[in-house]
Amino acid sequence: MGHRFLSIADPTNSFEWMIFLSKKYLSMFLEGTWLTLYIAVLGTLLGFVLGYVIGIIQDLKINQGDLFIKKILIRLIKVVSTVYVEIFRDTPMIVQAMIIYYGIRQTGVDLTPVVAGVLVTVLNTGAYMAETVRGGIGSIDLGQREGAWAMGMSPMKTMFYIVLPQAFQNIIPEMANTFLTNLKMTSVLNVIAVQELFMAAKTVGGNYYKYFESYLVIAVIYFVLCFVFNKIFGLIEKKMKGKEDYALAVEYLDNE
Amino acid sequence: MGESVLSIQNLSKSFGDHEVLRKIDMDVNAGEIICIVGSSGSGKSTLLRCINKLERQTTGKVMYHGKEVRDVQREINEYRAKVGMVFQSFNLFNNMTVLQNCMICTRKVLHISKAEAFDRAIAHLKEVGMAPYINAKPAQLSGGQKQRVAIARSLCMNPEVLLFDEPTSALDPEMVGEVLNVMKELATTGLTMIIVTHEMAFARDVSTRTIFMDRGFVAEDAPPSELFTNPKNPRTREFLSRYLAG
Repeated sequence: MGHRFLSIADPTNSFEWMIFLSKKYLSMFLEGTWLTLYIAVLGTLLGFVLGYVIGIIQDLKINQGDLFIKKILIRLIKVVSTVYVEIFRDTPMIVQAMIIYYGIRQTGVDLTPVVAGVLVTVLNTGAYMAETVRGGIGSIDLGQREGAWAMGMSPMKTMFYIVLPQAFQNIIPEMANTFLTNLKMTSVLNVIAVQELFMAAKTVGGNYYKYFESYLVIAVIYFVLCFVFNKIFGLIEKKMKGKEDYALAVEYLDNE
Repeated sequence: MGESVLSIQNLSKSFGDHEVLRKIDMDVNAGEIICIVGSSGSGKSTLLRCINKLERQTTGKVMYHGKEVRDVQREINEYRAKVGMVFQSFNLFNNMTVLQNCMICTRKVLHISKAEAFDRAIAHLKEVGMAPYINAKPAQLSGGQKQRVAIARSLCMNPEVLLFDEPTSALDPEMVGEVLNVMKELATTGLTMIIVTHEMAFARDVSTRTIFMDRGFVAEDAPPSELFTNPKNPRTREFLSRYLAG
């Protein structure tokens, strides 16, 4: 049976066409999968970093006694980051891709589609992540910070040692969500000629005029990728929860 | 009586139109155990939060050893490392074990070695009887245990003054005693303490000075022996009689 499938030379139904196409254009689909993963993983990770930076910036407070220049500077980067988040959340990624790719190329910089694709993903993810991080920070009880502040810890250190570790744990599901969204959203990057999965299906489908079958192939690939990552994230989340019990320090048991 | 450590001068605080503190003047000398009592909404907690700079005063200033603590982050941080605070809601770091809770600030603020931070943490946890629980997370402890850890955590910083903001108000009645006992022990060590509390017996027995606050004013400031037996201010009298009757 398996042997017959792999040697279909003259496909007659859609299923056989799927087998035929994926066999004939295996390297194209594999390369498309690789590029999709590459852009999604790199774009998401860098986007997370950007999102955390912006989220932290938006949480900065100004003290009355701060230097004038520091006050101005903080206010300025806050305004810049707010504008950035607003712009990227309120425009479609497909339009951002076109504008960034052609815009940067117009200035004479030789930007490859893949780099542009990663850049768009980073900027888009960063904007959404910034809001998620801000929400995550806001979900941590103010008392956690006051406890640290009251012992002389600076707001920045408090953010890194106390607030962010807790916020991070709370927003893991949202981060997983963002990654899965990105994995699928890379498909819009075909408009700037990134040879990812969608582009591969488009090309393959065009060769035989078998669009339905061709897109079904990548649908399966997208599904498997997302399904596997979903399971992995589930495991990570479980692991991060930590133990329910703790060991008594028996060496100090007489002290109660 | 020791030298002046804290001096609160002409301090007022408003939230919008609402005046919570009105021109508070108060001197705190080394070794004093000051209990602040008064009905809810009289500004006790806000005063304590202003002293720790968690709340910014509207006017007036807080002086530490004769020097004003300005609203500059670095100055505030240095000041807070010496003037710690224990909260009604404990505020233990939920992402850390008891031991980590007691080591993080000494490590990251005072920059002492890991070994020294560990020794300090264990020593102070032993003082409050919480050493066996070093591996527990805050969520696994009872309220009284949490508050004892919070006190140990503050002590690890070797503070000069420790502020207590209703440390027993969030506790079940049977846990109040264990925390008050720890605080009584502390009071004998010479640490300067300012305690906002509703525990009148504790204030009467432990404090060296009791302050009665009323509507944002310091209505009476006297040794507990006077304030509790022979209050001068009619408001104090009214408050105490309500407490003793209730």
